[in-house]
Amino acid sequence: MNKNKFILFCILPSIVILLIVVIFPMVGAINYSLQDKSLRFLEGDYIGFQNYIDMFEDRRFINALKISLYWELITVIGSLLLAILVSIILFEYSNKNYRILLAIILIMPIMLPKVSAGLIWRFMLSPVMGLVNAPLISLNLNPIEYLASPKLALFSVAFVDIWQWGLFFGVILLFLLETLPRDLIDAAKIDKVKKWQLHYFITFPMLKGSLITIALIKAIESLRSFDLIFTMTKGGPGITTETLDLYAYQQGIGLRGEISYASAMSVAMVIITIVIFTFIWKRAQKS
Amino acid sequence: MLKKIIFKTFIILAISGISLNAYANSCKGDVSEINVLIQGHPAMVHMEKHKADFEKLMDLKVNVTTLGEQERRSQSRVDASTGAGAYDVYYVDEANIAEFVKGDWVESLDKYFPAGADMADFQAGKISIGNINGTNYFAPFMGGQDVLMYRKDIFAEKGISVPTNTDEMLEVAKALTDAPNMYGWAQRGQRGSGMNVWRWNPYHRGFGGEWTNADGSPNINSAEAVKATEYYMELFNYAPPGARTGTWSDQIEAFRAGKVAMMTANDVFGAWVEDAEKSSVVGKVGYADLPTPILSGGFAHGLAISKPGTSSECEKVMAGEFIGWATGKDMESMRLDEGIYDIARQSSASNPKFTSLMPDDFNEAVKATSPKTSLLIWKIPEWPAIGDELGLVLEELFSGTRSDIQGSLDEVQEYAIKYLEKSK
Repeated sequence: MNKNKFILFCILPSIVILLIVVIFPMVGAINYSLQDKSLRFLEGDYIGFQNYIDMFEDRRFINALKISLYWELITVIGSLLLAILVSIILFEYSNKNYRILLAIILIMPIMLPKVSAGLIWRFMLSPVMGLVNAPLISLNLNPIEYLASPKLALFSVAFVDIWQWGLFFGVILLFLLETLPRDLIDAAKIDKVKKWQLHYFITFPMLKGSLITIALIKAIESLRSFDLIFTMTKGGPGITTETLDLYAYQQGIGLRGEISYASAMSVAMVIITIVIFTFIWKRAQKS
Repeated sequence: MLKKIIFKTFIILAISGISLNAYANSCKGDVSEINVLIQGHPAMVHMEKHKADFEKLMDLKVNVTTLGEQERRSQSRVDASTGAGAYDVYYVDEANIAEFVKGDWVESLDKYFPAGADMADFQAGKISIGNINGTNYFAPFMGGQDVLMYRKDIFAEKGISVPTNTDEMLEVAKALTDAPNMYGWAQRGQRGSGMNVWRWNPYHRGFGGEWTNADGSPNINSAEAVKATEYYMELFNYAPPGARTGTWSDQIEAFRAGKVAMMTANDVFGAWVEDAEKSSVVGKVGYADLPTPILSGGFAHGLAISKPGTSSECEKVMAGEFIGWATGKDMESMRLDEGIYDIARQSSASNPKFTSLMPDDFNEAVKATSPKTSLLIWKIPEWPAIGDELGLVLEELFSGTRSDIQGSLDEVQEYAIKYLEKSK
């Protein structure tokens, strides 16, 4: 066996797996998206790009694009801010002896399946029986409709996502802070810089690469928001928390059964994601 | 092997006139397992608890998959329409039975229901939900109709009479609201043909609305539909916070928590509010006829044989046997023993365990609303999609992300026309 054949022999299993799990479903989705199949009418005809044209005349699709963008921004920025805050607090104020214990407690939310997290918080935020509203009710005040208010619902669901990921990333950042050269931090302390100055000007600029990586990971993770949103609001009130993946589900697998149209949305989502993330990645590499 | 299959098929066809137990016996050992898709309804949870009895009886394994209502509908639809056939038995209901029959996804139950299980004993109103063109496609295990449930202790304390019409009902709901401790009313607003549309529809139909015009064309945007929407939205002012996107579970739990003075609900929830372990209002609830002109939404849930999931005759026979067992008289009697109120059989309705389970006024209320009970939804195969669109628009109106009722219903009308056209 020559060298090229050996290389091919080694990478063949990976290529086969890639074909099975990525390429075939993608080709299948593209094929479906060019037809007018539905679960009720599986014998579809090819209709060209009609599903793609319909998408841009569909108010729910346009809304889902907008909500997905908001969701990305809120959850990525929120998770990063919480992570930075948590890591600084732990770094500055926690005793090294029980820091590990705190870290274990803080990563617990991420270990919860999203469906469980969603159900727990849905109950906690309930205006009638939820723990969060209990103080208001005990003061004879009207409870807050966290999940039923069109203005609050997206932020309330995003809060749960940030609670799960922000604390987890906070622990990661804490351990990254601990890896930084101690002499720089000590020198800054001798110069009596304030704590916020230390982190703003010294530690976090040194972790810029890690922060960008965490942001990218979170951005990709946030695209898979379906289970949390579905559990907590099912896309409501109305369509105010309906992201692209949730809308594609509602159209394809939900009661509509419009699988071709849902496939077109999925393909569009993949294209949009690839374009945006390639752009961000390139920018991140440059910086 | 082929000879064996042909022989068995021949035998089965030859004896089509004799009892199904003989069928089942000839198939024993041929089917090693059956897969059943259910919704986590108390009656089905109870069935699952006792499935070992059937497994022992038929020498096979029963695999049960439990999902929530909407997910169960979606999953069974995907399984049936794609021909995946992962399930031998589907849980079907009034909202999707027409679609499943039109899609040829469920088997006629008349042929496979065990003779000993006595199909004639099912209550006419419930078995009729699964009867399409004279053929029975499901065996019901529960169903019901609406009644008015109210806190008789609060009504007595305030000196308020039970409302007899919708105008009075609004006044009473308003008078009894003392937020955040007590709300005069409870209802659900979450989108879905089986969610907000189900509760909105008794007003829509009660005010005189019809799903179609005389020529059969859709009539979703009628003046009656607008009036029903306005009335329903007004009621939300006296309902607990969160109701505009709430589910039936939120509605019932708020009532059981003692936060609600009055609601219309399905009679199956009577046992829920009288459940001493989970309800704080046991013994405090009165039951009455619905205020006029509200109608009562009759419904039934049942089990059906999946066509894609049962490729052989023996699989169909065993699925039929399972359905006969799961919806049988003995099973209902066992449920009543355990305080599960769901019944679908005439014999159970006269069972003292059933009649003594609930207060007298409950039984009177059920009797009073029976004449105004029927399947109020649009019984067409396209209903799940049209109902879903209507549900979404209603939730948008309830939650305030839309305000133009007529314009919103016009959009649903347009959607229905297009969808029905596409379905032709």
